[in-house]
Amino acid sequence: MEERERTLWGELTKGFITTNPLLVLMVGLCSSLAISTRVENCIFMGLAVIFVLTCSNVIISLIRNFIPDQVRIPIYIVVIASFVTIVDLTLKTIPAVYERLGVWIPLIVVNCIILARAEGYASSARVSHALMDGLGIGMGYTSVLLIMSVFRELFGTGKIVLFDKTASDLHIKAVPTILIMFPGAFVTYALLSALLQWYQARKKPGVEEEGP
Amino acid sequence: MSEAWRYFLLFFGASVVANILLIRFIALCPFFGVSTSLDTSLGMSISVIFVMTMATSVSWIAWNYVLKPLGVGEFLYIPSFILIIASLVQFVEMVIKKTSPPLYRAMGIYLPLITTNCAVLAAATESVKPGFFTKLNIAYHYAFPEALVYTVGVAVGFSLVLILFAAMRERLELAPVPKFFRGVPIAFITAALFSLAFMGFAGMFNL
Repeated sequence: MEERERTLWGELTKGFITTNPLLVLMVGLCSSLAISTRVENCIFMGLAVIFVLTCSNVIISLIRNFIPDQVRIPIYIVVIASFVTIVDLTLKTIPAVYERLGVWIPLIVVNCIILARAEGYASSARVSHALMDGLGIGMGYTSVLLIMSVFRELFGTGKIVLFDKTASDLHIKAVPTILIMFPGAFVTYALLSALLQWYQARKKPGVEEEGP
Repeated sequence: MSEAWRYFLLFFGASVVANILLIRFIALCPFFGVSTSLDTSLGMSISVIFVMTMATSVSWIAWNYVLKPLGVGEFLYIPSFILIIASLVQFVEMVIKKTSPPLYRAMGIYLPLITTNCAVLAAATESVKPGFFTKLNIAYHYAFPEALVYTVGVAVGFSLVLILFAAMRERLELAPVPKFFRGVPIAFITAALFSLAFMGFAGMFNL
């Protein structure tokens, strides 16, 4: 990222397009592809990631001057793991959701988004910036998650069910079930990624597309 | 069922039928990150097999002799396993750097990446809580050799798909791909086809 004046608003909004964790940085893919079969899952997962990312960013930014360089990764991991355990125990109080998300909550610990932000950003940023960065990246992650899950649930099952209520129904019988299965996740991501490449090429005409 | 056959099934199930990358969606970031060339994929594969086996051994011992007897396993397993993995990776890195520079050149750059490789945490957790990831809730307890066979199976499955996929991606570089699908999108489409093929194995065993 080029060096420019860092404003709090800029730190918050960059997570949506310019440094979107899923589409541009390509981190945190596992959970997003696996759980985006239902919109409801994504809402809870997004909230969990925003919480863990923001809290760990702030804590790491606060203690950044006391961490010895050689053991920094284990220290980051411990900070992250503590917040993940908080989320894990909290979500257990909603059994229906926990049953579906169960596996992915402990795996937030190794979700590369969080460690990548800790290592690459929070360890050298002011607390206020780290806070905004955590919120912004978390919301960027959540927004992609929501787009993917709306697409997959709507076309893969024919309707969207939110909190036991049918939010939207297409009234079609033959749905491409493959969308909510494993290959569908990859295809959905590929389409989104192609869309982003198209958008970026349009924004800067004349710049030849290069593979990442 | 003979002992050897049981181990084979455990291995085959872990590596191919429930492939960690394509069927369970774990460890996709390193998968797409390093699969751009065959050389890096090979280096990553060897490092993963090595670290994963060690991590599971230590985690299994920690779970059975420390966490479970003390009754704190349920809420301390995430921090303790990930701490084991993170320190193990850093320890291995230091040992290799001192003892075998050629090996360090081959594996060195992949080691820090492995800390955030969810597959290592997943395999370690799975080997002490079988069925945790498949949500089957099996009341079964892996003995140490079984846990080892299972982990090696997971790691080999990871390596197999990673190397196959890297070979495919090297060919894709030369293929005529629509402009906006070049690079990442086409890689994901390829992965989708791979995943479709691997789903066939699940049907074979009626899972």
